[in-house]
Amino acid sequence: MNAVETNGLGKRYGNAWALRECTLAIPAGHVAALVGPNGAGKSTLLNLVVGLAAPSAGIVTVLDGQPAGSAAALDGIAFVAQDAPLYRNLTPSEMLHLTRNLNRRFDEGYAKARLRDLGIPLERKAAKLSGGQQSQLALTLALARRPQLLVLDEPMAMLDPLARHDFMATVMAAIADDGLSVLLSSHVLTELERVADFLVLVSHGSVQVAGAVDDLIASHRVLTGPASEADAYAERQNVVHAQRGEAQAHMLVRIDARTGPVPPGWEAHPVSLEELTLAYLREPSAAWLPGPGALRLEPIEVSN
Amino acid sequence: MTIDKPPRSEGSDAASAAARQPASPIAFRLDPASGVPTYLQLVQQVEHALRLGYLKPGDQLPKVRDAVASLAINPNTVLKAYRDLETKGLAAGRPGQGTFIRATLSRVALPELAELRRSLLLWLATAGAAGLDDDGIVALVTSALRDFRERRGVAEGVA
Amino acid sequence: MAWVTWRQHRLALAGVVALFGAAAVYLLVTGLPMHDAYRAVAGCRPTGSDLCNKAVNDFLRTYAPGVGVTFGLLQAIPALIGAFAGAPLLAREFETGTFRYAWTQGFGRARWIVAKLVSLAVAVTIAAAVFSVLVSWYVQPILDAGDSNGPLYPTLFDLSGVALAAWTLAAFAIGVFAGVLIRRVVPAMFATIASWAALAFVTGAFLRAHYLAPVLTTNPNIPTGAWIINQGWFKGGNPAGLDTINQTFAPVDVRAITPNLFQPGPATPANLGDPVQYLIQHGLTQLTTYQPASRFWTFQWIEGGWLLALSLILIAATVWLVRRRAA
Repeated sequence: MNAVETNGLGKRYGNAWALRECTLAIPAGHVAALVGPNGAGKSTLLNLVVGLAAPSAGIVTVLDGQPAGSAAALDGIAFVAQDAPLYRNLTPSEMLHLTRNLNRRFDEGYAKARLRDLGIPLERKAAKLSGGQQSQLALTLALARRPQLLVLDEPMAMLDPLARHDFMATVMAAIADDGLSVLLSSHVLTELERVADFLVLVSHGSVQVAGAVDDLIASHRVLTGPASEADAYAERQNVVHAQRGEAQAHMLVRIDARTGPVPPGWEAHPVSLEELTLAYLREPSAAWLPGPGALRLEPIEVSN
Repeated sequence: MTIDKPPRSEGSDAASAAARQPASPIAFRLDPASGVPTYLQLVQQVEHALRLGYLKPGDQLPKVRDAVASLAINPNTVLKAYRDLETKGLAAGRPGQGTFIRATLSRVALPELAELRRSLLLWLATAGAAGLDDDGIVALVTSALRDFRERRGVAEGVA
Repeated sequence: MAWVTWRQHRLALAGVVALFGAAAVYLLVTGLPMHDAYRAVAGCRPTGSDLCNKAVNDFLRTYAPGVGVTFGLLQAIPALIGAFAGAPLLAREFETGTFRYAWTQGFGRARWIVAKLVSLAVAVTIAAAVFSVLVSWYVQPILDAGDSNGPLYPTLFDLSGVALAAWTLAAFAIGVFAGVLIRRVVPAMFATIASWAALAFVTGAFLRAHYLAPVLTTNPNIPTGAWIINQGWFKGGNPAGLDTINQTFAPVDVRAITPNLFQPGPATPANLGDPVQYLIQHGLTQLTTYQPASRFWTFQWIEGGWLLALSLILIAATVWLVRRRAA
């Protein structure tokens, strides 16, 4: 089952396309990270997925084919927007009441226990909570709705390192408990490596990379060797990005059926997610978008 | 507004989780700067604990939920590590209960260990004579180890 | 959803209650003495005698101006309600970004906005309706005493009957519509007040006078409490200005200060009688267009009706825009 599927999705504001020709299939049960520079189109894509914006072109469906923004989609998706918007003169206890009244399903016991564990006072107005507490409150309200898909837009921008850790720990624990799917956007790469197992790289309004992190890592490597041979090699291989010194060059290459063994005099290294992401961001014309058949993700069973 | 699913467990930190039921003898830690993939770090920590005697056959590995809550990592990563250990025959999952240690690491017998050590010292002397310093030796060994694993992985059909 | 609306907008609702409440207290405090005073006047016998007429005129002279000022001030109430209860409803959601929370909840945005609009619209309309009952009570002595400004008089008409409730509902509807169009609270509030005021002015100055064709008469005796729309002197089919009137008055030394106000001079005969009759006998005609007081309720239903229709259209348009509006 796919948590999110898009086909030729595009969104235009006035004359400018914020997102175009976006075709994706994000499988359920995974943590998909939406990565890219500011203004790349991440928020636009998220707004389309949660039904806040309507497509200018193409279609977007969620939770196994439901149209984005439909009643079934709204019921199954919980969204925390950038800066965790809350009603500033309501207390957490009133926000709980409000969220309960606006949804079919709401686990108030979980929400109250969670807020208690975090030390968030139930009767203080949201405006008086710290940034970290507001983010945690917004997340708690979202998770208490027991969604199938949790969508987070730059969730950790306002958080200090400890708060970030707690935030992600909450999300990961919810995945372990419920088999929830997560789609989160961030422009901070380092923290995503621990949590993301699916990557979508958006740059200048189009999707450059989309695939499972394991597949991505397995199908790329860095070759280090003499700079003089670099050009010749590049013609025969799929080089994403090259860094050259006078004598030595590093090339980030894509491995496919045509790839032969490592040439003599060259060394191969595995590539990290961060290195890979940066390389693609530096080469806007490069893309890694395997067809649906290339995604071989195993279903997740949480046995304990 | 009814709740369809059973209530989620409460309490997030490993300490309160540990206080509720018999804990695993070990706890995982993460070194984000090590360059080693997360799941592999977990596998290595289990093997290391086995080697040092912190884990014995029958002991339970940390519950996925607890590991995830304390490390803030993807549950799939923990599952992948546990699957790896299962493939190696070191652990086995019991549905509804958790993952438990099944066997110890195969111990290399002492005479064999001594023989291996002797041939290694000879090789080190050769390497030193060729001009390799400590870092050079480590780099060479690491690279050769990786090649060796890759070839063995291809031979065994494991990715 | 009712709790949702109450809790989120309790400040606005409290403001509405406070506004009407303060005005109600003022009306009671000034109205009770006025009612007492009128009881004395109404009990005066024999009715129609000079003594009793003087009592009535004294009563009117004492109280009518204050009532007029009060009604002038009370005109602001619907506009304030529209601006403070209606405009921020949606505008604040956009300004603070909370619509990104509200519109992604399980029950969706249509149900959310309809519930809010309906419950708040009903609340402000009922509050206004209750208040207008008090207004009608308050003004009754003035009307009974036969004040020249009858129930159709503009500043009284839109505070009584069903008109106040209708104008308040319309202000609310204008407010929410402005809020969803403009998406910023303070500009939306200003736009609400401005458009409501413009609509009220146009209605009072031009539209209301023609709900039914006004009565045209040359009879100088206009029924009590009628709303005089136009009154002027004509001679031989053409409008007669002050000059013409004064020319006609020359033999009796009466001066016309305005077409309705005549000042006798030293040479005015004592048995002149009514200056108006004098002018009529000397070839001038007084043409009056007016709306009789008996048409009060007819006009109330007409005005209430089209205001209600306008409010429903604006509310429907607001719901439609909420459903359409993208982030």
